Amino acid sequence: MKRGDKGVVRLIEIRGVSLWYCKEFKALDNISETIEKGQAVVICGPSGSGKSSFLRCINGLEHFQEGEIVVDGVSVQGPGTDIHKLRADIGMVFQHFELYPHMTAMQNITLAPIRVGKKTKRQAEEKAMELLVRVGIPEQALKYPEELSGGQKQRVAIARAMAMEPKIMLFDEPTSALDPEMIKEVLDVMIDLARGGMTMVVVTHEMGFAREVANEIVFMDEGKIIEKGSNRSFFDNPKNERTRQFLSRILI
Amino acid sequence: MDLGVISRNAAFMLGGLALSFKLALITVAGGLLVGIILAFARLSSRPLVYYPATLYVHFFRGLPLILVIFWLYFLAPVITGRSVGAFASAVIAFVVYEAAYFAEIVRAGIQSVSRGQTMAAYSGGLTFYETTRYVILPQALRNMVPALVTQTVVIFQDTSLAYVIGLREFLRRVNLTDAREARSVELYLFAGLLYFVICSMGSLASQRLEKRRQRSC
Repeated sequence: MKRGDKGVVRLIEIRGVSLWYCKEFKALDNISETIEKGQAVVICGPSGSGKSSFLRCINGLEHFQEGEIVVDGVSVQGPGTDIHKLRADIGMVFQHFELYPHMTAMQNITLAPIRVGKKTKRQAEEKAMELLVRVGIPEQALKYPEELSGGQKQRVAIARAMAMEPKIMLFDEPTSALDPEMIKEVLDVMIDLARGGMTMVVVTHEMGFAREVANEIVFMDEGKIIEKGSNRSFFDNPKNERTRQFLSRILI
Repeated sequence: MDLGVISRNAAFMLGGLALSFKLALITVAGGLLVGIILAFARLSSRPLVYYPATLYVHFFRGLPLILVIFWLYFLAPVITGRSVGAFASAVIAFVVYEAAYFAEIVRAGIQSVSRGQTMAAYSGGLTFYETTRYVILPQALRNMVPALVTQTVVIFQDTSLAYVIGLREFLRRVNLTDAREARSVELYLFAGLLYFVICSMGSLASQRLEKRRQRSC
């Protein structure tokens, strides 16, 4: 963990990361980005631009060939790194929820704390209940994912990701698979998290969310970061032509 | 028709049925265990793990079971240096052979669980073993229950092949009874009926399980 000039903590440092699939397709092209503690960074861009790959590199779900990512002082692909320990500090929420269908909401949330966090079942369940209250669905604790609506599933998934008390939360298009009327209930939880000081990296096209809480917005295309800027400057004064085109297409 | 021949020899014949059941059950348990290991080896990205397992599976799936039963019966004493009983020899042959079939069922079951489930488990900090044990296998096994039941029924039918090495399983004992009583029609109809009823129960159970699975997912 390094402290910058203004006393800020650089929680995620990404330096010159490149990623190829099958040695031919370059999914990420020399990506560099620094994310400070407590920041919410929104990543947007057309599909296939490498946003999800970028996110998955941060918690080591994807193996990149060049560059370095340091999370909380630990190099993700460093030789001595305990990747499982590092991942426990990084919560992740997926587009298609990926709740475990054979477990209740409660079991989904408590699996990692019991198996990885070595908490007792009771401690884990108390914590899970707190989180379910926080995401607004304590009454769904004993239901199976198939009995929940999309919005409820995603809120359980957020609670599951929070259960290990992570330092960072990654969101991979968390509202893209939701019916329109359920998007808000998920965004509200995420806004609440951001305001609570959680460090977040969010891949999303919800520009309303970006305007509201993002400290920085990153625009990606063809595996490269095309433009990044603060909340205000990105929307009001995009510099790059492709950014402008993209924004005009999604901000109807 | 002289049905008395059946009741007179029922104890002898059903004793053989018990042996058939025993052979089938040990085969399913052992074959599934070896099959799970082979399935993971087949899904490995390491060539040294992947190729031997793949070779094994293709090799045994390309042979008739009866040949493997013969092989093991005649080879086992050569390898171990002492005679192995017919039952032990049959168990080894069945497990070795059926493991190849179970491996493919298990592999398909594991692959039926989406990659996102693995990513979700990994992102929570779970190891490969924990992910497999708590997230992947429970779902995979549930998906493959119908195929496993079908394979179990096939194995039960195939236990009759063990007669070639002198194992006195059910069909062999019916055969012996016929040699003594000369009542082929009654005895073989009886044998057929029993096989049919037992295997139908298996198939029915499989269908019901499949329906229940469809309802719940």
